[in-house]
Amino acid sequence: MKRSVLRNVGIPLLSLAVLLGLWEAIVVIFNVAPYIMPRPFDAIRAVTDNWSLLWPLVLGTIQETLYGFACGALLGLGLGVVMAKVPFLQRSLYPLLVLSQAVPVIALALPLVLILGFGRTPIVFIVVWVVFFPVAVNTFDGLSHVDQDLVNLARVFGASRRRTFLQIEIPASTTSIFSGLKIGATYAVSGAIIGELYASDGTSLALYQAHANANLNAAGVYGTTMVMTALGISWFLLVVGTEVLLTPWQRRSVARRALFRRRADVVVSTVQH
Amino acid sequence: MSPSTLLQLRDVGKSFAETVALEPTSLNIEEGSFVAIVGPSGCGKSTLFNVIAGLTAPDSGEVRLGDQVVTGATGHVGYMLQKDLLVPWRTVQDNITMAARLTRRVTDDDRNEARRVAERYGLGEFLRHYPSALSGGMRQRVAFMRTLVTHQSLLLLDEPFGALDAQTRLEMQQWLLQVWKETGRTVLFITHDVDESIFLSDRILVMSPRPGRVIADLENPLARPRTLDTLTDPEFIELKSRVMHLLHGGGA
Repeated sequence: MKRSVLRNVGIPLLSLAVLLGLWEAIVVIFNVAPYIMPRPFDAIRAVTDNWSLLWPLVLGTIQETLYGFACGALLGLGLGVVMAKVPFLQRSLYPLLVLSQAVPVIALALPLVLILGFGRTPIVFIVVWVVFFPVAVNTFDGLSHVDQDLVNLARVFGASRRRTFLQIEIPASTTSIFSGLKIGATYAVSGAIIGELYASDGTSLALYQAHANANLNAAGVYGTTMVMTALGISWFLLVVGTEVLLTPWQRRSVARRALFRRRADVVVSTVQH
Repeated sequence: MSPSTLLQLRDVGKSFAETVALEPTSLNIEEGSFVAIVGPSGCGKSTLFNVIAGLTAPDSGEVRLGDQVVTGATGHVGYMLQKDLLVPWRTVQDNITMAARLTRRVTDDDRNEARRVAERYGLGEFLRHYPSALSGGMRQRVAFMRTLVTHQSLLLLDEPFGALDAQTRLEMQQWLLQVWKETGRTVLFITHDVDESIFLSDRILVMSPRPGRVIADLENPLARPRTLDTLTDPEFIELKSRVMHLLHGGGA
């Protein structure tokens, strides 16, 4: 266990440190001017020094991402299910979904502002727009590839369609669904930032960065980028963590006793060993 | 229909497009018997099973179970394939209670029964394991327990040991005979292994392809209990030779 923690956390942290070291080295060796590329330490300090100013903006971005991701994931799940279950809707909806993703997100922002005005709503809308697609496609794929023999077995046992769906098809698709959610999570923060740049009503993380840029504050620009990146990674890790919690069978050979006990009080006493 | 007939097929036939998968077939299966169906691939064995299980509606004929007509209806047989079809996200115990979970709420009685069956048949220590932790033979045993606790009197087993190595397969056959003897279920067992069909059954139906049909219905005279010696018994060899000839032409 200790060893795997070291491998799973230690190695990524090490490569991050190497990346920052490379950045530092490039600035020093090539003598890059600070208004083009500051040192990583200066970029980090630009963040910590202005944290009280940045924090409300970061919170705003988190909220937009949260709302957009939640709505986008639900919409994607719903569309994936509907397409997998109704062939007519699959044929009619799938091309529209692909079309929706052919629209450049930036080109989507301005019409959205015209329709919805400046503020949170168009930003959340953009996040929904970039999140729902990978979730819908992966949910659809997962449900379409459930082993038909397993579905038939459920039928032979006399299962209703609803129970077969909930007990067999959905759990059998979890890996695919989480693939969609993970891709969606990496897009979500980017979507929110693009939205903020075009549609926010005055204060936002993206506009903060634009101001820093206008003031020739390179450290502020780079620092904000680092904050945005950290948000994106955190969001992705949150989804991965949820997957790990919800799919214990992927990593364990024996169910946790706590999990098992809840479902079978009577049995636990006899299988202590 | 004699009082001890559990399953009765009357002129059950099925075609897919131009292909006759199963010629109109009539059969009576006695309650508590172990009937093996042997034949090459494409002889309609699986079609026959799917019709009995209700997965496939026959073009003609009638399926009766006890005194009920069950043609085209599901939920009245136990069913098991070569693929164990255990769900990886459930523990062994929860896989055994799967049929209950698919039709109603799982009760403590279901869990206790799963535990009893697992303990009785040597998997009591694995109740909390996920299927990925089990060997092929153990997985098939769990799949069979899942079939057993459906409490259906008729069990359809479609090459359940087909994917196992010879050693494990022989163990599983002996194990199956033990369970069958203790539970008194009626078993229809598909295989293309002639030895297996003779070792296990009371009666052997030999099928042939294009069109799929039953070409012979043989009583199996071998005494029970069957042991390793059964496999070299002269009667065994004689019956085997008959079935082989039926399967590969040349008459019996």
